[in-house]
Amino acid sequence: MIPPSLRLTARNLIINTDPGTLLFLIGLPSFYLIVLGLMFQALIPNVFFEGHSISYAQFLSPGVVAMQPFIAGSIGGSMLWSDRRWGMFEQLLVGPFHRIDYLLGIIYVSMIFSVGGAMLMFLVSYLLTGFVIHYVVNIILIILVLLVSSILFTSLFLVLSVFIRTIQTYNTVTMFIFFILDFASSAFYPINTRTPIGLRIISYANPLTYIVDSVRDMMFASLNRSDLIYVMIVVVLSALFFIFAALSYRKAKI
Amino acid sequence: MLEKVIEVDHLRQTYDGRNFVVDDVSFYVSKGEIYGLLGKNGAGKTTTIRTMTTILPVHYGKVRILGMDVSENAERIRKRIGVVLQNESFDFASVERNLKVYGMLWDVPREVLKARIEEVLEVFDLSSLRKVRAMELSGGQKKRLQVAREFLHDMDLLFLDEPTVGLDPIMRRSVLNYIRDKARKGLTVLYTTQIMEEADYLCDRIAIMNKGKIVAEGTSSDLKAKYGDLKTIHVIISGELDYNSLKVKFPEDVIVDNDEIRIVSKNVEDILPDLIIYLKARGIRIERISVEESSLDDVFLKVVS
Ligand SMILES: Nc1ncnc2c1ncn2[C@@H]1O[C@H](COP(=O)(O)OP(=O)(O)OP(=O)(O)O)[C@@H](O)[C@H]1O
Ligand SMILES: [Mg+2]
Repeated sequence: MIPPSLRLTARNLIINTDPGTLLFLIGLPSFYLIVLGLMFQALIPNVFFEGHSISYAQFLSPGVVAMQPFIAGSIGGSMLWSDRRWGMFEQLLVGPFHRIDYLLGIIYVSMIFSVGGAMLMFLVSYLLTGFVIHYVVNIILIILVLLVSSILFTSLFLVLSVFIRTIQTYNTVTMFIFFILDFASSAFYPINTRTPIGLRIISYANPLTYIVDSVRDMMFASLNRSDLIYVMIVVVLSALFFIFAALSYRKAKI
Repeated sequence: MLEKVIEVDHLRQTYDGRNFVVDDVSFYVSKGEIYGLLGKNGAGKTTTIRTMTTILPVHYGKVRILGMDVSENAERIRKRIGVVLQNESFDFASVERNLKVYGMLWDVPREVLKARIEEVLEVFDLSSLRKVRAMELSGGQKKRLQVAREFLHDMDLLFLDEPTVGLDPIMRRSVLNYIRDKARKGLTVLYTTQIMEEADYLCDRIAIMNKGKIVAEGTSSDLKAKYGDLKTIHVIISGELDYNSLKVKFPEDVIVDNDEIRIVSKNVEDILPDLIIYLKARGIRIERISVEESSLDDVFLKVVS
């Protein structure tokens, strides 16, 4: 017997996934990598990072990998929307599942998309910079970070879909958060003492910073204690957001 | 003693904390029975179903489904019931894929599912539409898909919330027969409708709901004996009318609404001449008068007043 949450995952893959849109959304950050990476590489000398000297495009590649859980999460949140739009949300709530299975069904799909998207980013990055990763075992750690971050962002977007009344507002808010999280993080530039204090505060309040930093270390350097702390922060935030999502979705209007 | 599949005991439900849209409702349904809930728009049928199907928490009272309390065993109950919602619900895919995915969600074994899909496509006349996407179906076809889907999985109890809305008369009859056939094989059914004849044809027992309360309950022959061959006199008058004396004169159920009088009775032929004389004697003008077969609405009015 297949567990209910996996049956719901399969359904979401079959029903709620449009391959074209999916590929476009998770492929989008590769434009950052190609356009910004190549453009700024001409301006910026190599970046010194944890004792290594890497090109700007290489510096950027962990950033676009770490964006995948966010994008996958927003796709997951929109699945709740379409289920409500077509009346299936209520139907599934009276189905042979535990309530939490519905949430898990969406989170698992986001995990698949985010790991799939990350692999795509690795591929683009390899084609562009010829570099993937220093220590191959770290790939497993990166996948783990991506999986945990998927819980974080999918939960965030599920909360948003529960509380936001219209799909237009949902999309606008998603765009807004996307810009804030992307640009006020260490995805595009290192956060250091030269960073304006306001931006520094926002960046360190931004979970994406911790995800990017740990993925970057896993790609280029050996792991240190700060990575452990970053990963812990991501794990704790994911747990909190998941609980929040589970509570708020009990209140979801049908 | 028959096994009770549904037991609702003094249920009261509210959405806003003030108005009770289900107000002290009690009934039970035995195994294999088809129980009809009848009522006008807003009577509280769907709210009652939502409670029994574990979507709404119970505010006051007790609801037991298949011997289990809905507040404690929601998941276990949901595994054994089927629900056809009043609102449209389908997946964004073809008819066939809708059925396949739904069967997969219920973990129906592959071979069994295949056979059942063919069966329901046949019964609900969807065979020629199997490749059509659900959102491109007509209203009645969507409803058929929604009902058909629910028969793919095993269940002990089926909730049907106005499943025949939008179906043509032939389809309606064959759906009703299919449900009845399943009930004979042991399925318990809770059925809501606004159509009296439908409940009469299908249901073993019927409850009429109004404003959140059950106002009449019984087998269809009970109810027929009580409310059958009723007729309604509608009179539009102009002039002052003493409602109390009218009520004394015609103890049958009289409803006065501004300048409209309604009398629901089995022997309107006797009442009508008296009524005209009564009104004439008081100088009240009759603007319009008619005698009609009682609608469900009139039965309600009669039951409520
Ligand atoms: N989600 C909701 N929030 C607030 N009020 C609601 C909600 N759903 C129903 N109501 C109110 O509860 C009352 C009963 O509604 P319900 O849907 O149970 O009626 P019904 O008998 O199923 O009617 P119909 O025949 O139109 O389907 C109505 O007055 C309705 O306005
Ligand atoms: Mg209803």
